[in-house]
Amino acid sequence: MKGKNSAKSIEMEDVWKKYDMGEVEPLVVLSDINLEIKRGEFVAITGPSGSGKSTMLNLVGVLDKPSWGRVILDNQNISFLRESDLAILRGKKIGFIFQQFNLIKTLSALENVMLPMEALDILSKKESEQRAIALLTVLGLQDRLHHKPNQLSGGQQQRVAIARALANDPEIILADEPTGNLDSHTGQFVMEFLQKLNKQGKTIILITHDPNLKKYAKRIINIMDGKIISPPGKK
Amino acid sequence: MKLRKSFDLAVNIFVNSKLRSWLTIIGIIVGIAAVVSIISMSLGAQQQLQSRLGSLGADILTVSPGAQRAGGFGFAGRDSESSSTDQKNLTSKDILAINSVSNVKEVMGTLSGRASVSYSGKTVNSYTIQGVDPSMWKDFNTETLTSGRLLQLGDSYSVVIGQDLANNVFGKTVPVNSRISIGGQQFTVVGILSNGRGIVMPLAQARIVLEDLGGDDFSSISVKISDVTYSNDTVTAITNKLLLSRGIFSSKKQDFSVSNPSAIQSTIEQTISTLAIFLGAIAAISLLVGGIGIANTMFTSVLEKTKDIGIMKAIGTRNGDIMTIFLINSGLIGLVGGIGGVILGSISSVAVNSLAGVSTTSASARGPGGFTNMLAGSSVVSIPLIIGAIVFAVLVGMIAGVIPAYRASKLNPVEALRYE
Repeated sequence: MKGKNSAKSIEMEDVWKKYDMGEVEPLVVLSDINLEIKRGEFVAITGPSGSGKSTMLNLVGVLDKPSWGRVILDNQNISFLRESDLAILRGKKIGFIFQQFNLIKTLSALENVMLPMEALDILSKKESEQRAIALLTVLGLQDRLHHKPNQLSGGQQQRVAIARALANDPEIILADEPTGNLDSHTGQFVMEFLQKLNKQGKTIILITHDPNLKKYAKRIINIMDGKIISPPGKK
Repeated sequence: MKLRKSFDLAVNIFVNSKLRSWLTIIGIIVGIAAVVSIISMSLGAQQQLQSRLGSLGADILTVSPGAQRAGGFGFAGRDSESSSTDQKNLTSKDILAINSVSNVKEVMGTLSGRASVSYSGKTVNSYTIQGVDPSMWKDFNTETLTSGRLLQLGDSYSVVIGQDLANNVFGKTVPVNSRISIGGQQFTVVGILSNGRGIVMPLAQARIVLEDLGGDDFSSISVKISDVTYSNDTVTAITNKLLLSRGIFSSKKQDFSVSNPSAIQSTIEQTISTLAIFLGAIAAISLLVGGIGIANTMFTSVLEKTKDIGIMKAIGTRNGDIMTIFLINSGLIGLVGGIGGVILGSISSVAVNSLAGVSTTSASARGPGGFTNMLAGSSVVSIPLIIGAIVFAVLVGMIAGVIPAYRASKLNPVEALRYE
């Protein structure tokens, strides 16, 4: 039982997500989602806009809870966790990479990368700083440590965001259109870096509508109108 | 998240929030400055009142000629040479009568008036002179000596002068053992008082210097009582005794008054504290407005930071930490406003002090300063006041920030991340 679970990164069972619209019929965004992502997988969740991709991202990233069904991360049904526990779970297990980079503009690159470590408060400030510098160095930003996001190019910002996603050495990297705001060259760097991370054992979940990115993934999950249209496990 | 980190992030938000925060801070500065200056002024007034009335002595009653005037209290009464001559003066017969009242310890008749005073070629035309019984005076005097001695039995052409005459009036200091001329007579200065503004000399000499007073008359009678608890009863007893001995049968025709410094003191203290409460209420309103300003700023700040809050939640920051960050942020606005307010308030009360200082020195020749001078003339900015004001400002900031900070902490991460 435990061995079986430990092979799973995240599991969704009969998941529905609907939004109450007041007097109008509730809006069903996701219905009947069954999905299992194993540890070390590189999965791309694709679909046109409005298909429910973003809601998938929110559920997989435990930013939101399902209306029905179970989302299981780290052997825990997230529906039963308080918001603060979800925050800690996210901080430990998931590294986010966003299309808009989502760095905090008033903090330097180094401070942005240190923030997840300081939020969880596991390492000392000095250890956090050393780790952040090491990560930024791996991403080629060793001479941009004290730059603010607006002093960095888009590609550099996304690399800071990747360093931040790796800060707490999470099991899962959740990338939402990570190349959407980048030129093709930088986009390729990001995707290859994600591939490299996958080879090192990280679970990569890529959310995209870009068909060119599908080639990096080992498995494609297509979403259409809130449903998975290709059965899980089948490429 | 460590508190230290929350603090750093709060400082970061504060430093990056530019103009809006500063406008809010100005609101707090004005409120705290008003509170600080009002409190320091009323504290100063209270202290000055204590020292002035304390020098009268709570156990000393003063009997003055003339009908009781509404609120005719001590300051003006002390040099009441204005008491009109057609009024029946106080005499040694009255002293005898008062002496027989119970709770009376000692009775001393005093003379007061004005005479010209000269020292080393300079003359002041009209200066306050007080004639006292040299042997008893030490029991009635409450001022401290800075040098020399008080009057004593056997003194004749000896005077004790106040600090004003000793240092200010002649433009140079008048030391002990100087010879000064008062009303044409030569006197030796034997002592200098730390405070007072007059010349104190033996009664017999005062009668010579202040010519226009009758041989047996007194300007006022000072009564020292044994037990201050019964001072009001003693005032009544003395009044009744004097009415009887002066042959007045209707209290409406009473031609003297008995003042009770401790009663006056509490009246003035009440007035000052009422005034302070009134001014304090105005200051409190301005602080309330400042607090609402902080709350407003914080709501805007939370709205502006929505995206950042979403990001921080996504990367593992707990609700409580978000709340702490914004609470510290609003506390910081209060802190900076409080520090600014204390500085501005201190400057303004010092400024008021020096303005009032000018008017008191010019008024000093005419006698003790008025009530307004007291309120403005000696504000006291103390360390506890400063610390209290700053702590209060921080509290105002944090209370104003509670609801915005709570709302920030409860933001839905999905919606916050989507916010642009």
